[in-house]
Amino acid sequence: MTEAPILIVGGGPAGASAAATLAEAGLPVLLVEQRDQLGGAIHRQPANGAGNHVWRPARHRRNWAALTARLRACAGMIEIRTQTVFLGVDGEGRFLFDDRRAGRVFASRPRAAIVAVGAVETIRPFPGWELPGVMTAGGAQVLLKETGRPPEGPILIAGSGPLLPALAAQLARAGNPPVAVLERGRPWRRPATLARLALAGGPMGEAAAYAAALALARVPYRGGAVVTRAEPDGAGLTVGMRIGADERVLRVRHLLIHDGIEPNRVGIPLPAPEAAVPVLLAGDGREALGADAALLDGRRAALQLLARLGAGAAELAGLESRLERARRVQAALAQALRSEPVEPAPETLICRCEGRSYADLQALDGDASAREIRLMGRFGLGACQGRFCGPMIAALRGRPVPAASPPRWPLRPVSVAALARLSTDETE
Amino acid sequence: MASSAAIHVAVIGAGIVGAAAAHFLAAAGARVTLLDASGPAAGATGASDGAVSVASKRPGPMMDLARHARAFYVRCERDGLFRGLFHRRSTFLVARTAVEAELVARHGADLAAAGERVVEVDRATLLARIPGLGASVCAALEIPDDGHALGYEITQRLLGRSRIAIRRNAPAAEIVMRAGRAAGVAIGDELVAADAVLVAAGIGSAPLLGLGEILIPRKGQMAVTDRASPSGPAIDGHLMAASYLAAKRGIAREDGHIGLVIDPLMTGQFLIGGSREDHRSDHATDARTIAAILREALDLYPPLAHRRVLRSFAGVRTASRDGLPIVGAHPRREGIVIATGFEGDGICLGPFMGACAARLLLGEAPAVDLKALSPQRFLRVEAHA
Amino acid sequence: MSGHFFWSGMPVAFLPGETIAAALLRAGIADLGRPDGHLPGGRVFCGIGACQGCVVAVEDAAPVESCLTPAQEGLRLGPLPATGAGHD
Repeated sequence: MTEAPILIVGGGPAGASAAATLAEAGLPVLLVEQRDQLGGAIHRQPANGAGNHVWRPARHRRNWAALTARLRACAGMIEIRTQTVFLGVDGEGRFLFDDRRAGRVFASRPRAAIVAVGAVETIRPFPGWELPGVMTAGGAQVLLKETGRPPEGPILIAGSGPLLPALAAQLARAGNPPVAVLERGRPWRRPATLARLALAGGPMGEAAAYAAALALARVPYRGGAVVTRAEPDGAGLTVGMRIGADERVLRVRHLLIHDGIEPNRVGIPLPAPEAAVPVLLAGDGREALGADAALLDGRRAALQLLARLGAGAAELAGLESRLERARRVQAALAQALRSEPVEPAPETLICRCEGRSYADLQALDGDASAREIRLMGRFGLGACQGRFCGPMIAALRGRPVPAASPPRWPLRPVSVAALARLSTDETE
Repeated sequence: MASSAAIHVAVIGAGIVGAAAAHFLAAAGARVTLLDASGPAAGATGASDGAVSVASKRPGPMMDLARHARAFYVRCERDGLFRGLFHRRSTFLVARTAVEAELVARHGADLAAAGERVVEVDRATLLARIPGLGASVCAALEIPDDGHALGYEITQRLLGRSRIAIRRNAPAAEIVMRAGRAAGVAIGDELVAADAVLVAAGIGSAPLLGLGEILIPRKGQMAVTDRASPSGPAIDGHLMAASYLAAKRGIAREDGHIGLVIDPLMTGQFLIGGSREDHRSDHATDARTIAAILREALDLYPPLAHRRVLRSFAGVRTASRDGLPIVGAHPRREGIVIATGFEGDGICLGPFMGACAARLLLGEAPAVDLKALSPQRFLRVEAHA
Repeated sequence: MSGHFFWSGMPVAFLPGETIAAALLRAGIADLGRPDGHLPGGRVFCGIGACQGCVVAVEDAAPVESCLTPAQEGLRLGPLPATGAGHD
């Protein structure tokens, strides 16, 4: 009988880094990735046949090249399964996977697991966010990387965070600069926090490069600016916005929104490092600190696991201090871009899957349980299972929505036929 | 009903039975305190299919009661209480083997004897009604007067209409007796004083009443799919496999048995159930059981291969040792009424049984004879044992 | 050009390795919903399979997230919900 592998869910920087570290230590690894290639959203490669590469800092390219070389060097220890979607852990401890290529769900009982499923983008909803033509900035960036081409027609970017100017600069370099970038926060009014950001070792060079690209393409970057609504307008959108005290309207083809990222944790098994099958989280899925930190965090999770399995581990302290630096940068950024929450209009959709509005949410009892929010309100009962509306509801109610207990599987909708064809590695 | 105006009833359990009792008590002028260890519809009520079905009931008192209970739904729909929540729809009892066909035919005869409309459907007719039905289906009976309602929606409506405040996260520790009569419910250190107590707490009734030997938890695992139609049921009836009937009639009783039902929800989704796992009161679901349920479902209705499972979940039915619900006054402790043990029939029976329990608490006779469900029967068994 | 799949019966070209979502957007198809539904129609949104906004019906199979799924020659796709067969 062969040794049960260490399972790693997610082939982004954290998962790949953990896989390389474990395989180098001589442990067999099963690495599953939902896409057809490793790299995660940050290192999405162009589809075959697509041309130019998207502009991004050279260190990302170098880091990923180094990591893929390490994976290649210990390829014999790593089984990589792409187009395979993690479905969660069932009530009897099986880790479940949807092999999309084979059209079959398989179950496995790994020796330990590192879950590195990245982050999801936060959005602050407004009437019309559910329309075609509105996309997350991160989603648009992934598409840009895959196709090498920007979307056609006027683009507006709105929300908050460093991704907004970064994506704007990439779109400009790719040939279609956005008409404007609307930042909810007012970074220029917080020079002290900007200075702290620089002192904390923030990527100021990167920021300066993006700023220069935006200036060159004459893309206005407005602070204290928010989208208030979007309405369908022919093949495009009419977008209402408030910039300071001014109300304005703009016609665009694409509205790209983003208000930061948070760990993708809905339904993910809770870390239990002391359990018979230890589960650890790594990367943005543990703490949203970005791609550089995810590389370190994947390594850290692998070293923690090795220590737990008695294989010894050093250098954890060094990793911790570098992660702490990333944490300080993120905190300073958040401080610089901080803005007051705004209550959405009553008709604003909150749960897109089931078509439920903010008014529907308010109609529920103030002390309604998570179950009542789901069953009576139909929030989070649809296909996304609360992955998008859960954080919004938590933000609007001012407290987290407790997770279902026991944790629910499947984490993602799965074909009835594929699940009926379940195969397990158990001898039965 | 001036005589009852002063009575204060504590109802333990905000499932469909407790909510119905609370609603009808309040409507009769009683003061009601509704308590739940968690929240409304948190137990089996919120984790079940929506079958308001006579078709599946065991012959005898259950079949007769289910006919009353379904008629009660029809009346409540007509007078507005359940408007928009209860829908008439057929149940199809389907057989896939000669043995199953015989069982279905026997059950159909029992239904007809109880006064139920039963229509024999040949395979061609059934295919026209439900396109895509599996090749193995050889015989079917249609029960055209059955219906559909979701337990948590009915519960919400009952509570909303009567404006009863519910105390969430209030687990009853014990029923406090004074001078041989129920005086209230202890919640932690607090006493909720009451003139009478209704225990409608599903499996939670067992520790409160010392029914651990009589009430059995029976877990059921289910799956819900995505929408097959943008709104309205995707197929023209509720599909009930003979395996479900067999389980209900007590023919197959082994643990882990699957009694297959395919319930087309009003949203266009399918609810597919379910396992029958005795002495399991946890809410975990496992891939082997769900996969087995789905294989059965695909055999019965192959177009499900075009659907995705959105979630799996488990509900815990509360079954009594003899398979009949327990509804009636506590045989030894005055001022306590019990309404539990509805197994998988709580959605169908719940509103009617809640209304009956309300009448018992008000000192009135229920609308039908409930002797067969009386808690007294277990006393007698124990006395003879 | 590498191949074609069909969106509501209309051929859509795709490049090798491209996702269904990328090909649909390149063809100018942003609205993935039925016009008469009471729920919001489909559209590509998060790009990582989480939001389920871009799920499309597949003839003779279960729906898939268009942002995760590589395009394939001859696939017949359409808006949700569909019964999985015979949608035009």
